[in-house]
Amino acid sequence: MTVLDPPITSLTNPRPANIAAGAVGVSKIYGSGDTVVRALDDVDVDFVEGHFTAIMGPSGSGKSTLMHCLAGLDTVSAGEIYIGDTDLSGLSERDLTLLRRDRIGFIFQAFNLVPTLSALENITLPMDLAGIKPDQAWLDEVISTVGLGDRTDHRPNELSGGQQQRVAVSRALASRPQIIFADEPTGNLDSTTGAEILAFMRRAVRELGQTIVMVTHDPVAASYADRVIFLADGRIVDELHGPTPESVLDRMKSLGS
Amino acid sequence: MLRLTLRNLAANKARFLMTTFAVVLGVGFVVSSFVMSDGLRSTFGALSEDITAGTDLLVRPTSEFGEPLPLPEDLVTEILAVDGVDNAEAFMESAENELQPIKADGSTITTAGPPQLTFAWNDDTEIGAFTIVEGTAPDEPREFSMDHTAAAKHGFEIGQTYDFVTPLGVEEDFTFVATTSFGADNATVGATLMHVSLAEAQRLFGDPGTVQQIAISVDPGVDAAAVANDIAAVLGTTTAEIVDQATVTAEQKAEFTEGIDIVGNVLLGFAIVSLFVSIFIIYNTFAIVLGQRVREMGLLRAIGADAAQLRRSVVAEAVIIGVIASAIGLAAGVGIAALLTAVFEAVGAELPAYPTILSARTVVLAFVLGIGVTVASSIAPARAAAGISPIEAIRDGAAVTPENGRQRLVRGAMTLLAGVAVGSFGLFGPGLGTLALVLTLGSAAVLVFLGLTLASPAVARPLTAVLGWPVAKLMGTAGGLARGNASRNPRRTATTAAALMIGLSLVTMGYVVGESVKSSLGNLIADSVSADYVIAGMDEAALPPVFADELAASGQFEAVTGMRYDEARLGADVREVTALDMGTIDVLFDIDLEAGSIPASDATDVILLHDELAADLAADVGDTVPIEFVSGHTADLTVAGIYADATIFEDPLVPDQVFDAAGAEVADEWVAAVLPDGVSTADLAPFVAELERTYPQVSIDTASEFQQSFEDTIDSMLLVVNALLALAIVIALIGIANTLALSVHERTRELGLLRAVGMTRRQTRRMVRWEAVLVALFGAVLGVAAGSLFGWGVVSALPADTFGGSLTIPIPQIVQVVVLAAIATLVAAWLPARRAGKLDVLDAIAH
Ligand SMILES: Nc1ncnc2c1ncn2[C@@H]1O[C@H](COP(=O)(O)OP(=O)(O)OP(=O)(O)O)[C@@H](O)[C@H]1O
Ligand SMILES: [Mg+2]
Repeated sequence: MTVLDPPITSLTNPRPANIAAGAVGVSKIYGSGDTVVRALDDVDVDFVEGHFTAIMGPSGSGKSTLMHCLAGLDTVSAGEIYIGDTDLSGLSERDLTLLRRDRIGFIFQAFNLVPTLSALENITLPMDLAGIKPDQAWLDEVISTVGLGDRTDHRPNELSGGQQQRVAVSRALASRPQIIFADEPTGNLDSTTGAEILAFMRRAVRELGQTIVMVTHDPVAASYADRVIFLADGRIVDELHGPTPESVLDRMKSLGS
Repeated sequence: MLRLTLRNLAANKARFLMTTFAVVLGVGFVVSSFVMSDGLRSTFGALSEDITAGTDLLVRPTSEFGEPLPLPEDLVTEILAVDGVDNAEAFMESAENELQPIKADGSTITTAGPPQLTFAWNDDTEIGAFTIVEGTAPDEPREFSMDHTAAAKHGFEIGQTYDFVTPLGVEEDFTFVATTSFGADNATVGATLMHVSLAEAQRLFGDPGTVQQIAISVDPGVDAAAVANDIAAVLGTTTAEIVDQATVTAEQKAEFTEGIDIVGNVLLGFAIVSLFVSIFIIYNTFAIVLGQRVREMGLLRAIGADAAQLRRSVVAEAVIIGVIASAIGLAAGVGIAALLTAVFEAVGAELPAYPTILSARTVVLAFVLGIGVTVASSIAPARAAAGISPIEAIRDGAAVTPENGRQRLVRGAMTLLAGVAVGSFGLFGPGLGTLALVLTLGSAAVLVFLGLTLASPAVARPLTAVLGWPVAKLMGTAGGLARGNASRNPRRTATTAAALMIGLSLVTMGYVVGESVKSSLGNLIADSVSADYVIAGMDEAALPPVFADELAASGQFEAVTGMRYDEARLGADVREVTALDMGTIDVLFDIDLEAGSIPASDATDVILLHDELAADLAADVGDTVPIEFVSGHTADLTVAGIYADATIFEDPLVPDQVFDAAGAEVADEWVAAVLPDGVSTADLAPFVAELERTYPQVSIDTASEFQQSFEDTIDSMLLVVNALLALAIVIALIGIANTLALSVHERTRELGLLRAVGMTRRQTRRMVRWEAVLVALFGAVLGVAAGSLFGWGVVSALPADTFGGSLTIPIPQIVQVVVLAAIATLVAAWLPARRAGKLDVLDAIAH
């Protein structure tokens, strides 16, 4: 494993060993006075290692906010966020950056890649930033699994949208982070390409034991996950295990979104 | 549309502030050169009037050529007898620093700044323009007065005695008898003005029985022109003329103005370089900002704005920026003038106090240049932005389509070649006048710079990749990303770098020419001078006429000769002629004799000619050439030899006896001396030290010190040039920081992504800073290449027999400048780097 030691280990609040990340009583409030927005309202959630979780909910329900807070990109107004057993609330800006670099993977909806770097360089970017040599065998495996083949020397603008997302997924996987966060990773893709990416993410969970949390609006995409969490008005309102597109759609309808 | 223009300006305040800054500095520099020269002109204009205030007419000697002979003193009495003449007095003025008082602490007043001048005292204070402030007039031998400002500054006290450095050696015990005032305000513009009696003036820097000029005042109510006619009759056969006050004042003014104009034009030249550099920066800002607004432009086009409207709106923005920048530049110019004045003072070239004059011409020019430069540099980006089709702009990720790269390269190469052609014509073509030459070479440089800027995007990628290789190796991923960023937009990189390229190419050219001349001169001097000592007056001070004789008499040297210069008519033309002890030439110099022989010391009526002159005169060894001196003395000189080496002499050389017989110049310009075999300069050091005590105004250099003093002169010239180019380089660095800030803004999303996947703030800052350094280095490489080319051209164009024409590229100095520029860039990039590091990750991703 190339994952570095956690920068700070919480001793006072031992966390269950198989939890990759979690939120405990997390609230996030934007603005103040009349314009106050409660984007997250006392959210408790754990993400078990080796599981693929989808987060769903209507627009503005707080999905992205939750993900940003979990990933240490944003601070919470109340509650605690854990990555492994590291409590993020005590970390400095720099420690958070190093934590993201070493223990978290990201896949965004678009603009995932640095245009001046080749696909391969984009994939190894977090490790290069850390000054770590990537595990070549693992890298080869990731690249071949993602199906990038001989296109790794190409620049992002020479790749299709689907290929770009594959590179983004490879990057998230390459450093074997403790957890990967994906915010609508297939939102910009056609359904066939999206399905390929999602299948690949599921394989990474099944075969490589990767933990993935994904925000999506698409019931079909959510059905690739092991579990679906439903948010509304900043609260977790429901949860579904072993989802199918139909069961997700049903649940969404019943939640009135 | 105007409202939109104003909104845009308001929205992009920070971005345009940087643009404005570049224009402000450029305009400010131009304004400062005018403020300084206008101010100095007014100061010296007033001075010219003061000098001649009490004089109605002036009699002065004339001659057909050369330095006229002085007037007989008796003429003063004769003029006094003319009807209508109120008073007439002799006017005598020493050469600059010819007499130097020694202060109480034993030191002399520095000769590097304004001059020290000594005059004969005029009892008629109307004519003399000087009045006594305290004490009594200096009318006895060994008495002197000094203007009260200089006296106070240098601590001279009335009643005390002081020693003087004079052409006759150090003379002791001159009594300081009076402080004086020049005009009412003692506006000496920094000079030290002294007086001695007429007899002393004649003894120290004139000839007994003669005076330099005669100043005359006429009786009240009498027509000066009529009196002038009567005086002209008195002049008789004396070669002299009589002129009126207006003429003298005008001549004086013209003489001052000439010097001021030179300084002003040099400053203006550098100011124009700065302004030219800022064009690139403004252009870049417009190109980037408009590129970022391409979607907005597309939208406007879609809802019905036509291309011309958009173009006009952009140009209107440029006009507004130009107006604001020019106004600030006008104010900044006054500040820069004060700064330059302080710099001059710091390097020892103190300028006199001058009033701050903002003439209408300066104001108009500031606005014309400021607005012109801004608008000119906005035209191309405006056209490109307005030319995009609406659909193109609205489609995601559209950018202003750059013109065809190959076409650009071809145009750039052609412009470059045109520049080289024009430059070659200027350097190697028919001899042009100074102004024509400056204009030719200036436009050649502009063409070369434009050509390079157009063509250089083609090499931006490979070159920054190569330059960035060590950065990527040493700085890790941040370095690698910096390298990628520097080459991702070749046009932007090229234009940003162009500003620095221009500044550094001029610096490089200076170094190349300076070092080449230095080494060529060094070689030539080593080849053609075998003298051990080269002696001349310090800071142009005259060498005492007795000096060479004293050296010769000392018995310390194998050979000594003084070199005297005067004008004489040789054949049909008046030329400068050098007189020396012919017998010493062989020992002291190697003049590369082609024909004939070098005459002995006692030969008279002989002449040595440089081969070019011999060809001009169609004279061969054994022929005679007629010579005529200022005094009217003529002689027929036999050509004894023809020489080829032009390092030391190009003049015709004649024996001392010829000058003596002709009553030509008596003072040596310089003296050369050689030691006997077996005696070293170290052996002679005590003797030299003693001489320097006796003649403090003389600088006695060994051959290597002589060469060193040449090198020092070139070095200090380079220093001034580089100091003046510094502003252009500062503007270029600001340009790099500016472009970088815009790029950081443009790449906000990407930066957010990098930060999200784990790039630390420090790595982010490092990435931005090194990108700046790479852009700077790119400019530096082009600049050094172009500068070396310019330098090579100039060196090749220099006459090979005086400057040697051999090319030296001073790599250490150039490397030093490039490294300094890189460090300065790191500093300049500090702000944008900090901004990039501080970006909020979430905001950036959502950007
Ligand atoms: N920076 C902010 N300032 C103020 N309010 C914000 C900010 N960011 C998010 N919000 C608010 O917080 C709430 C949750 O936003 P969030 O982006 O998490 O929603 P989401 O579930 O991701 O929606 P979508 O499906 O549209 O992406 C929304 O009401 C939003 O307006
Ligand atoms: Mg969202």
